[in-house]
Order: sequence, then C-alpha cells, then structure tokens
Amino acid sequence: MVDAGPMARKTVRTSDGPQPPRTDSPPDDVLVVRDLSFYYGSFRALRDVSLAIRRHEVTALIGPSGCGKTTFLRCLNRLNDLIPGTRVDGRIDFDGENIYGPDVRAIELRRRIGMVFQKPNPFPKSIYDNVALAPRLNGARGRLDDLVEESLTRAALWEEVKDKLHDSAFSLSGGQQQRLCIARTIAVRPEVILMDEPCSALDPIATFRIEELMAELKDDYTIVVVTHNMQQAARVSDRTAFFTVEVNDGGRTGVMVEMAPTPDIFTTPADQRTEDYITGRFG
Amino acid sequence: MSRRRLTDLTFWVVCALAFVFIAAPSVSILASVIHQAVPSLGWSLFSQRTNANGIENAILGTLVLLVGVLVVAGTIGVAAGIYLAEFATGRSERLLRFFSDVLSGMPSIVVGYVGYVTFVVAFHWGFSLLAGVIALTILVLPYVVKTTEVAFRQVPTTIREAAAGLGIERSSTVLRILMPPAAPGVLSGLIVALAISTGELAPLLFTAGFTDQNPSLAPLHRQVPYLTNVTFTDLSLPGARAHATAAAAAAVSLVIVVLLITAGRALSRRSRRMTQGMML
Repeated sequence: MVDAGPMARKTVRTSDGPQPPRTDSPPDDVLVVRDLSFYYGSFRALRDVSLAIRRHEVTALIGPSGCGKTTFLRCLNRLNDLIPGTRVDGRIDFDGENIYGPDVRAIELRRRIGMVFQKPNPFPKSIYDNVALAPRLNGARGRLDDLVEESLTRAALWEEVKDKLHDSAFSLSGGQQQRLCIARTIAVRPEVILMDEPCSALDPIATFRIEELMAELKDDYTIVVVTHNMQQAARVSDRTAFFTVEVNDGGRTGVMVEMAPTPDIFTTPADQRTEDYITGRFG
Repeated sequence: MSRRRLTDLTFWVVCALAFVFIAAPSVSILASVIHQAVPSLGWSLFSQRTNANGIENAILGTLVLLVGVLVVAGTIGVAAGIYLAEFATGRSERLLRFFSDVLSGMPSIVVGYVGYVTFVVAFHWGFSLLAGVIALTILVLPYVVKTTEVAFRQVPTTIREAAAGLGIERSSTVLRILMPPAAPGVLSGLIVALAISTGELAPLLFTAGFTDQNPSLAPLHRQVPYLTNVTFTDLSLPGARAHATAAAAAAVSLVIVVLLITAGRALSRRSRRMTQGMML
C-alpha cells in the first residue's frame, strides 16, 4: 500500500490542493461524497455519486442488485483498495479531509470507519479474542476485560456470552456472531460504522435484534447501512439514498437517483425511478 | 446383463485395480524390507556405528539433516509461500512461481551435482552438513512453498476483509489472524518435505559425504552419515550381513517416513476441520 504518514485527525491539510471552504458542508455532515466514480478495470461500476452522511443518523442505501450500493459503501472506508485493478475518481471528505488524499493511510482510516459484513465473519478465535484482538494489535496495552465487556454490552451480546467468553466464536448462532462482529467493530472505537446487508444471512428474530441495536448505536456512532429490504430501510433509517442501474452502451453503471429523509423517500419520492422501485414495479 | 450394469461393473473393477496397484507395492515393500532386515535387528543396530554392527551414526545423521531441512527449507519456503498467497502481485509473483516450478521439476541428481560443484568445491565447504542441508532444501522447497500458499489461500477472504475493516496492519493480519488456521496445513507440508528428505540419496551423495563417526553439528568440513547411504553402499557389498544392514537402514528410513506421513495426515485433517468452521 502506498500510504504515507498518519492521518491527521480533523485537520484540513493545506498541501492537499485547493480545499473547498468548510462552509460547503453543514457542520453535522461527517462524510461528504462528491462526484464519486468507481472502476473495476475499465468497467465503471459507479458514476458521479454525490451525497452527504449526517452525524448520529442511520443512513440507508437501497436499490436493486448490481446498483453499486455495496461498492459505494466499501469506498467509504477504502476497503475496495484490497481489490487489485480498481480505481476511484472524485472525493470523499471525512471530517473535512479527503480520505483518498495522499497523506491518508487506509489502515488508520478504517479504525475510524468500521465495517460489519453481509455474512457474520468472526475470526477463528475465542469470543473474547474476537473483541480484544484488534485493539491489542492496534496498540492497546494491559488487560482489556473492561473494553471487552463494554463492547459486548453495547452490542447486546454480553448477557448471552459472559459465561463462555473463551469458547470459540463459531459456537454462537448466526445472529450472535453478527452481534459479535458489531462488538468487535465497536471495540476499535470508530466514529462511523458501515453495515453491508448485516441481516441478510439472519432469521427474523436475529434481524429484529440487529435493527434495535442500530437505533441504540446511533447516539454514539454514525451508521451507514446497505439493505435490499425496503421495510428494513424504512424501520431503521433517518435518511435513505436510492441507487439504481443505468444500462448504456452494453455497460451497467450504478448511479444514485436521490437521497432524502426516509419518510419522504417512501411517501413522496421525487424521481419516477424511485417510485417504481418502492412500489414494486421494478427490481 | 444390461448395459448399465456392465458400465457399473467395469467402473468397480477399475477402481479395485487402482486400489491394488497403490496398496500392493507399499505393503510388499514394507514386508520385504522388514523381512530382510530381521537378521540385523537388535539393540546393536542403535548402539553401534557403521564400522561395527549398527547404524547409530546414520540414524543420528539423518535426524540432524532433517532438523537442518526443517529450519532452512521451513523458513525460506514458508516465507515464500506467504508472500505468494498474501502479498505478491504482477511480475514478482510470476517470476517466483516460474522459478518454483523449475525447481520442482529439477532431477535430484542434478541438485546433488550442482551442490557438489558449488558448495563442496567452489565454496570450499567440503562434504558437509550445510552443503547437504542446502541440497535437500533446494529439492523440497517448491513443495513447502506450494503447501504454504495453499494453506493460506484456504483461509476465507472474508477473514482478511474483517481484519482490514478493523484497521489491523497486513503483517499482524498474516501472523496473528491467518497463521493459526493455516498452521496445520503449513506443518503438514513441512512434514511431507521431511519425509521426502529422509528417503533422498542423490542430492546427499555428492554433498554430505559419509563417515563412520557420529555426526557433529559443525556446519562445514565435517562429513555427515545418513541412512540412505548405508542402504546404497551396503547393498553393493558382498555378504549377507552387509545386505541385512542395508535392509535395516532402509527399514528405519521407512519407519521415519511412515511416522512423518501419519503425523502429516492427522494435521491436514485438523486443518480441514478448521477451515470448515470458517465457511459456516
């Protein structure tokens, strides 16, 4: 990785070319995306996405399969950097600093913008180690019992696992594993948590618990959740962005159609394509 | 008989034949070697050296060589395998793979000859432990690289993404998160490499030399005795006793190989279980 130097927290680098004035974005926007395009090789998966994510809100990204919502989510913490041959155009400002700027280390960025994946993916280790490992590897010293308990409590898992912390994470049910993955993310103390269809592999009861958890967590974190379940978006999110696929010249490109407070998207969408999607005429 | 039954029967016959062709040689070799070794089996085999009635020095020498291979081939091969699985891209990956493939097709006698010309003669190491260990390492390295790479690739990508998403450095991810589930696979590869080393003669013939003394741990200028050399030499000597000693050395080599292979199989079973847990 061609990262250089630690990422300066909440400071605007003057060497990073002309910066737009901070007044561009209202102070409660934690992530501001401008004209973001994403390429897998020569294939353009996303075109000119611009939107803002508000602090302490749950933002839902919805849209049909292949519309690039997961790709977009993974741009927000530069997880797509792991895929060779990909390229990003445009910029994403996190607290005013372009995360694709030359002085930003993706590794350090991801400690501030954590991620929960579609399928629960705990490490092949004990429940305790799943939570404690990242803080320890990232430099935490001493005993981490308090941090582990706090993180598991925040993820609404502590009561179920407190007597078997040293059992394998694979001994848990799918829903518990996903809450463990949320606890693991919280333990790094991020500001933003990205969730990529976090309930798609879970049963309705486990889904309900994760949705409850999102509502609780937004007091302390900013949450961006990708979902293809529109009811879920309506239940959990404050604002919703609708993505769709444009087919042109034989290629398929994801675009963002509109973003608005969630009730507005579901009752009075501004765009015909959004209305077609939410009323079930498409996708 | 219907056509379908006939096909079925043919298939079973072919399978049974394949089983016989694999099982029969192993069993017959084991049986015949042990049968021929019987006259020389006894405590003196392990307590006397090759200048008397035993092969103590050859057994110790083989074990010292194996430890050397474990250290040298283990370090280089595991590092190269991890590099290929986790870090290499583009040209460096293609080059490393190419050279690894070339090595894996290298005849062992060529390795021995090149080792002799290079280490024994040009480097003035003489017949020595280090020359022998390096010759064996060259022979088994591609195998260690391959099994290490496969063991790491078997760890699901979702685990790497989880680690990246938590801001864990690549090096820590490899050593602390990917290594534990990959370890049984890596170890079983190392064990097979040791089994191959136990049975090799050609790479050692011109590099390790031989001595009736017990092996020293000095890396240079001291010849190393080993089991396959005893089998090779004593078999060409006249006399029943020499032949029995040759068979005894072969039997001990076989026992070491069987023990190593058994351990390797147990480890790879464990490795499969670990990755299954992760697939869920």
